Amino acid sequence: MNQQLLEQYVAGRLNESEAVAFEEFCLENPEFAKQVELEQLLKSGVVQVARGSTAEFVRSGTETRWMLALAASVILCVIAGTYLWQQSAAVRPHILTAAHNVAKDGPSLRLALVRGADDLPELPRGLVRVEIVGLFETSAQYSVVLDQHNKKNVDTVAALFGQHPSSPMKLEVLLDSEQLESGTYSLHVTRKDSREDPLDFEFVKP
Amino acid sequence: MDFVPGGELSRRIREGDASAETELIRQFEPGLRVLLRRRTGGDVGLLQDLVQETLLIVIQRLRGDGIDDPGKLAAFAAQTARNLAIASLRKAERQKTDVDSEATERNADSSRGVVTLAEDIESALAVRALLRELPQPRDRLMLRRFYLEDHDKETICREMQLSEAAFNQALSRARRRFRQILEERGFTRRDLLGPGP
Repeated sequence: MNQQLLEQYVAGRLNESEAVAFEEFCLENPEFAKQVELEQLLKSGVVQVARGSTAEFVRSGTETRWMLALAASVILCVIAGTYLWQQSAAVRPHILTAAHNVAKDGPSLRLALVRGADDLPELPRGLVRVEIVGLFETSAQYSVVLDQHNKKNVDTVAALFGQHPSSPMKLEVLLDSEQLESGTYSLHVTRKDSREDPLDFEFVKP
Repeated sequence: MDFVPGGELSRRIREGDASAETELIRQFEPGLRVLLRRRTGGDVGLLQDLVQETLLIVIQRLRGDGIDDPGKLAAFAAQTARNLAIASLRKAERQKTDVDSEATERNADSSRGVVTLAEDIESALAVRALLRELPQPRDRLMLRRFYLEDHDKETICREMQLSEAAFNQALSRARRRFRQILEERGFTRRDLLGPGP
């Protein structure tokens, strides 16, 4: 049994009788089967990552471009940090807070990346527990920034830093809906010290 | 791991040799995982349940009536696994009718969810780490086209102007590193990471 057959099996390109013979060979050859499973895991990992974001696959190339990208990121971070610091007085307090030890029976909003979804989710009234669904590293820290989309521009209305996900698939924050005007908003979740693209979620405050 | 012919395993299990049952499990489990992984749509909890169920059925059969051709024990185990996967799929299809998906999610077996999540997360995190390490954007694109878009090797080589040797080398490097990352993350359960490719 060779590598080519292994790849064809994992890609689903063997016909039924070939697949049956391949599988029986795997049962009789456990070490080979472990190689096949590793290939299956690699493929499933790639699919999982691509479901969340394609940023990892399209990141730019050469060393020089990396350095330029890094420099640009640093400059942007400094500008963004300065801007956020200057805006902090304008950012209303307690719009966005950490969701530790909060009862889970209140209003909630689940934000997940759903392909092909046309309707934006609606933010309920009250102090809303927002569940952000994605792929998180539980040991990492994340920042959550809330933007309001106006006709001409986008204003940051709240930001929360140093948040830990409550599970590898979920990060939760509290959002005070009563302090928000009606309109369209977006939440951006960024991992600290990471070059990954932020997770972006839009919703509507009716 | 030494291969023990199906006929011999069948005979020993029939005679009540418990160590033969252990050998059968060790021998067939990796292959059953491969077969069922393909048929359980990424539900690792279901995959593990079906592997266990298959092994149980095969062992009970060998303890009892035995099978017609003990030399074809692997074929019998594989067909049992396929039948269980089909039955499970049919059951899931029936349950899809009039189901409150949120309630189902809430009531789902939490232990299965944790296992599923853990393995999905591990492989996804390992791939993320792998992609971060790959020096050439060409390699990332290659992985995407090969594993995600299922393009065949010849097409990828032609369109990316790569020799087959260069493609194989890059792929082999990626596989090796993926395996190392999984090992570094402690992903050694079930003895998955046997001798490398």
